[in-house]
Amino acid sequence: MISPSVRSLKNMASLMVRKRELFSLARILSGVSYLGPASLSVCSGHRKCNITRFHLPLTPSTSFHTTVLTSAAQSAITVTEEPDTLFQKLVVLVKGHDRAVLDSYEFFATMTAKELGISLGKVFEPPKDIERLTLLKSIHIFKKHRVQYEMRTHYRCIELHHITGCTAQVYLEYIQRNLPEGVAMEVTKTAMEKVPDHILEPMWKEIPTDDKPSQ
Amino acid sequence: MINSKNFRHVTNVCVSLLLLRCMTTEAKRNRAARIRVGKGDKPVTYEQAHHPHHIGHRKGWLSQHTSNLKGEDGAAERTVEDVFIRRFMFGTFHGCLANEIVIKRRGNLLNVCAVMLQKLPPQKFYFLIGYTESLLSHFYKCPVKLEIQTLQDKIVYKYL
Repeated sequence: MISPSVRSLKNMASLMVRKRELFSLARILSGVSYLGPASLSVCSGHRKCNITRFHLPLTPSTSFHTTVLTSAAQSAITVTEEPDTLFQKLVVLVKGHDRAVLDSYEFFATMTAKELGISLGKVFEPPKDIERLTLLKSIHIFKKHRVQYEMRTHYRCIELHHITGCTAQVYLEYIQRNLPEGVAMEVTKTAMEKVPDHILEPMWKEIPTDDKPSQ
Repeated sequence: MINSKNFRHVTNVCVSLLLLRCMTTEAKRNRAARIRVGKGDKPVTYEQAHHPHHIGHRKGWLSQHTSNLKGEDGAAERTVEDVFIRRFMFGTFHGCLANEIVIKRRGNLLNVCAVMLQKLPPQKFYFLIGYTESLLSHFYKCPVKLEIQTLQDKIVYKYL
């Protein structure tokens, strides 16, 4: 994996497309290998059929999987003059119904951050939310007999500090591609901007002879 | 009852508010998604043997999507889609389903996972799988993938 800090984006769209190809290939390969020991001929034949049937409409990954290797060789590292956005803090909040799934996803995300060299902040678990409904058990009368349902939402919060725009994009894309089903993610980015020049110096120092506005 | 099947993502806690003084009415026991204990000759799968309050503890979720999380919407549409997909699969692969269908949604992709019995020759299976995938993807305007595993017989967990 090429370290993202080396990359700068000249043509953001094409580079993102190529990254998506790489990641879609990785996902396809991992998905196919995961299906591996499903013993029977129907399943293995179906696996091949599945890949050919990828020509379904809509997903961008459908047309990419055949051309992945060539494009990976062509992707060049470009250097641009425009400065990259800097993020002071990147907060990734994942929500899910299953705590075990969130545990494993947190392990995956923190391992990715460590491998990519991103400085991790806090990784903590906000308290869960339970939404309860009390409904009538019967379709007709029997008001005293009710049924209670509840929906539990567990959270996990991962904070990353001092991260560049390119790195954030790559990290988030990788994380989101591997988001398990039934898990939602919210990302909050805190960007840092250079202080504008006109407010660096206080006004009264520059123009001492200015008349005060009429009061 | 279709209700409890569709609300697999929800844990069910029953509270009965019966007044103790009143002896004439019986306690209304829950009958949702439960197979009552009988003579011992009825084979039952793991899924059927566990009651809905075991979801999240001993059972998993049959339908996995994010619309029932706090702050997310679209729960009703997903539920309706799930009901349709289950009925459709039940009808297309009639008599071949070994267990309940698991529906997973990842982004735009709809993943329908099922375990089938080997009642049909493989060519017919291929055809039905292709037919289901293309029909559902045209109907729901999203890529639909079918992941099928086949078995010789249903796996029996216990006899009730």
